[in-house]
Amino acid sequence: MSKPTDLVQGTLDLLLLKILALEPMHGWAISLRIKSFSGDVLQVSEGSLYPALHKLEQEGWIKAEWKQTENNRRAKFYSITRMGRKQLDAEAANWNRLSAAISQIVKLSET
Amino acid sequence: MPIFRWWSTARLRLRSLLLGRRVEEEMEEELRYHLENKIEEGLARGLSPEEARYAALRAMNGLEQQKERMRDARGIRWLTEFVADLRYAIRSLGRSPGLTGFVILTLAVAIGMCSATFSGIDSLVFRPYPVRDPGDIVTLVSTTQDNRFGQFSYGEYRDIRDGTRSYDGVIASSTLSLVGFSAEPGAMPRARGGMMVSGNYFRVLGVEPQVGRGFRDSEDQVPGRDAVVVLGHDFWGREFGADPSAVGRTVRLNGRDFTVVGVAPESFPGMQVFYRPDLYMPLAMARLFSADPKKDFFVDRDARELTIRARLRHDTPQQEAQAEITALAQGFEREYPRTNRDRGAEVNTQLQMRARADDPNWKFMVITNVLTLSVLLVACTNVAGILLSRARSRTREIALRLALGAGRLRLVRLLLTESLVLACLGGLGGIVVGDTVLDWLARFSLPSELPTVPPFQMDGRVMTIALLLSLVSAVVCGLTPALQATRTDLVAGLKTADVDEPGRKRLWGRNGLVVAQVSTSLMLLAAAFLMYRGFQQEMTEGMGYVKSRLLLARFDPRLVQYDVARTRRFYDQLVAGAREMPGVVNATLTENPPLILDTFAVLAFVPEGVPMPRDRENFTSLMDAIDPGFFETMGVPILRGRGFLPSDTEDTPRVAVVNEQLANHYWPGEEVLGKQIRLENATGERVEIVGVARTIKYRTPNERPADFVYLPRTQHPLPRMILMLKTSGDPLQIVAPLKEVVRGLDADMPVLSTRSYEDLYRYHVVEGPGAAIRLVGSLGAIGLLLTIAGLYGLIAYNVSRRTREIGIRMALGAQPRDVLRLVMRKGLVLVGMGTGIGLAMGFAVEKMMNSMLFNLGGVDLTVYAMVVPAMLLATMAAAYLPARRAARIAPTEALRCE
Repeated sequence: MSKPTDLVQGTLDLLLLKILALEPMHGWAISLRIKSFSGDVLQVSEGSLYPALHKLEQEGWIKAEWKQTENNRRAKFYSITRMGRKQLDAEAANWNRLSAAISQIVKLSET
Repeated sequence: MPIFRWWSTARLRLRSLLLGRRVEEEMEEELRYHLENKIEEGLARGLSPEEARYAALRAMNGLEQQKERMRDARGIRWLTEFVADLRYAIRSLGRSPGLTGFVILTLAVAIGMCSATFSGIDSLVFRPYPVRDPGDIVTLVSTTQDNRFGQFSYGEYRDIRDGTRSYDGVIASSTLSLVGFSAEPGAMPRARGGMMVSGNYFRVLGVEPQVGRGFRDSEDQVPGRDAVVVLGHDFWGREFGADPSAVGRTVRLNGRDFTVVGVAPESFPGMQVFYRPDLYMPLAMARLFSADPKKDFFVDRDARELTIRARLRHDTPQQEAQAEITALAQGFEREYPRTNRDRGAEVNTQLQMRARADDPNWKFMVITNVLTLSVLLVACTNVAGILLSRARSRTREIALRLALGAGRLRLVRLLLTESLVLACLGGLGGIVVGDTVLDWLARFSLPSELPTVPPFQMDGRVMTIALLLSLVSAVVCGLTPALQATRTDLVAGLKTADVDEPGRKRLWGRNGLVVAQVSTSLMLLAAAFLMYRGFQQEMTEGMGYVKSRLLLARFDPRLVQYDVARTRRFYDQLVAGAREMPGVVNATLTENPPLILDTFAVLAFVPEGVPMPRDRENFTSLMDAIDPGFFETMGVPILRGRGFLPSDTEDTPRVAVVNEQLANHYWPGEEVLGKQIRLENATGERVEIVGVARTIKYRTPNERPADFVYLPRTQHPLPRMILMLKTSGDPLQIVAPLKEVVRGLDADMPVLSTRSYEDLYRYHVVEGPGAAIRLVGSLGAIGLLLTIAGLYGLIAYNVSRRTREIGIRMALGAQPRDVLRLVMRKGLVLVGMGTGIGLAMGFAVEKMMNSMLFNLGGVDLTVYAMVVPAMLLATMAAAYLPARRAARIAPTEALRCE
């Protein structure tokens, strides 16, 4: 297994929004989810996860509430807001455009 | 969406601000949850608890840094820090309540004085007109060589109104000092202040009447046709009890019935600072009110009684309007050379109108503002000195914080927050002090015959200034101490609580403060004393006439529809009857007795044998039309020739008496008697000078000697005159008998106002300057007190800091005398430097005051001879007390004190 790759700059917000769009969850779950969904390719450094979450909350894209976890602990659950969904759409579209463009160039045959 | 976003983020910020601790705890809990999961994960991988914990922490990249970054993400870091600083500052200030109280009081007094004087200059200069879009209102002035702020005639107004395109409306107005008013036709008229205005006046200014309506343009077209009046708001309240049904009623003005059509709103007290018109009449009614009966208001282009204002179109720059009016004025010069030669016109903004170089009120205000700002400066340096001492006694605390890694900027902010708290409390106190001072100022009624309003008020603008001043003083007071205190040498600072490291540089701040204080308060004292001496000199010099036991009574027979002949007959009988009254020594009539400022008439004349400069056709002088008894009654000596005689009548050759100033001005070294002047211009009526009277003060006690021409009333009849009675006892005792005499002549003739001349004099000459002297004097006293307190504090602090050193010196055999000298020497050096600078500043202020307020020349050394020793003595006393205390220190005690 190769070493997990650090995230491309600026994509963390996109990932977090996407994950939270699926269902509300707490920080620990988010970090697990990203790791497993990406087949262990992507690794969110724990050092940047919470500041990023706080920033998204500050922007009004996600909101937080305290809830019980499955094993009866109190944890802060984040969920996406309507504004967050809009932001997600915009960022996803942007990402698709960008990655398509990059792979188009990468695929050019060297003749 | 932005609204939701604003709402959610604002809520978050507010929450982190108000529930800071709770938010911190939640953050803690969130991270802990993550950490525990991470540790469990490690344990599951088979690590020992120790290892798992360590690995988890490492993965978290340092919990504290993480938290910091999360706090940053919340974006209110500076705010929470500020709140924390604020709490800290309040707590630490509360620990020394005496000091804190002193500082706040000092700042409150200084800021209060500043805001009070600012209120004065604001009302005189900066406060906008109470109309819609006041910034667009400009004033047009007619300019000549002598007068940069002249008025216009009716003909000129019409031409300007119709011949310009830069404006959204051109209005004209003329202030009337007296209107005979009676609410019912039969009642005895009383004197009220009025204003003639063009029909478009209220519309162009954008002033909506409170009740009824403003004038219609049509009501200002046919002279004498529409007798309609709009009441001033205050007047409506006083005379009609603010009854809306006043509109539609008939009132009598100058003997004619007028219909009330409206009431001006409360928000519009008029366009002038001191004067609130009671009544507004259309210009078309001018024949009833016009000031100069010799001229036809509607016809004569030199009957210049109108103030013209205009609303500048939004897209028109002032230069364009200026070019237009200049062209128009040049046209006037060509078309009407007789009345408009060398006459220009200017467009002035409100500020240009009010900040006129020739206005003593505003000059006085500028000087007072400068002086109060210097008091604030002294107060600030004082507070800075105190804060400096405080900060230094906290050296250890500050050093500790620095050592623990607090940024210097962060600490400076903390210390500045402290001075901000002090200054803001001082500012609030300042508003209270300012309000009190203004109340006190408002108690002086202004010198006028009519109710005028002191415009000073503690309004939003003034309070804003007070709070702005306190912000500025926070920085001024706090910055030096904060910067110095945080420049501490860490090692030394940590070792002792209170130490002054070697190096002269850091002493500069404090020494500079002392020098600044001493010099500023010396300047303040000198200014106060100069002002006192200036006014004193004028008072003792006197006005040049006898003012005691005089009674004034005003008459205007036009109010009862007298014609010229009847007016003359009435006045003749009045003077004759008054002379017969018991207790009356002398009686005379005059139009413009000295100090009745608002009615001073100007005479245009051409002196015989004096070459006229190429660009002018006449000279001007103040004038008065008087009765023969004037010079005896007022005690003004005739120096040469004669005064007027009963034999000077309308059938005999025209004569005049001039004052000495005019004689020397036009015919220096020549015999004036027998010289002739022509009135108006070179072809005007010829008048022979038959006497020279002593020059007296005509308008203010501090005026420069003015030219003056007296003409006999018999040859220049005027409708509005003032009867002056010289009495053998209390002049006011004569009022009732005088009214009887008048009633005997004509039961309907109003006696408009009766007043003793002493009373008038007191208003004009004593109270105004007296208030000014008290104001500036108290500024000087406050400055001196602050300086002494500051100096005392600094030296005392210095001594206590050097207790140990002094103890050693004494243990080694120094005498108390040596210690005294040691401590005082430094204080005296600083005081000496401050005195030097203060003297220079004092000379500068003196020069300014002499050129602006007083008519005195040269440097008044006596002022400094009194102020400098007083200052030195006071400051030496401030230095002596702590020095003596130092000299008394017992060596053993001093050495133990650390």
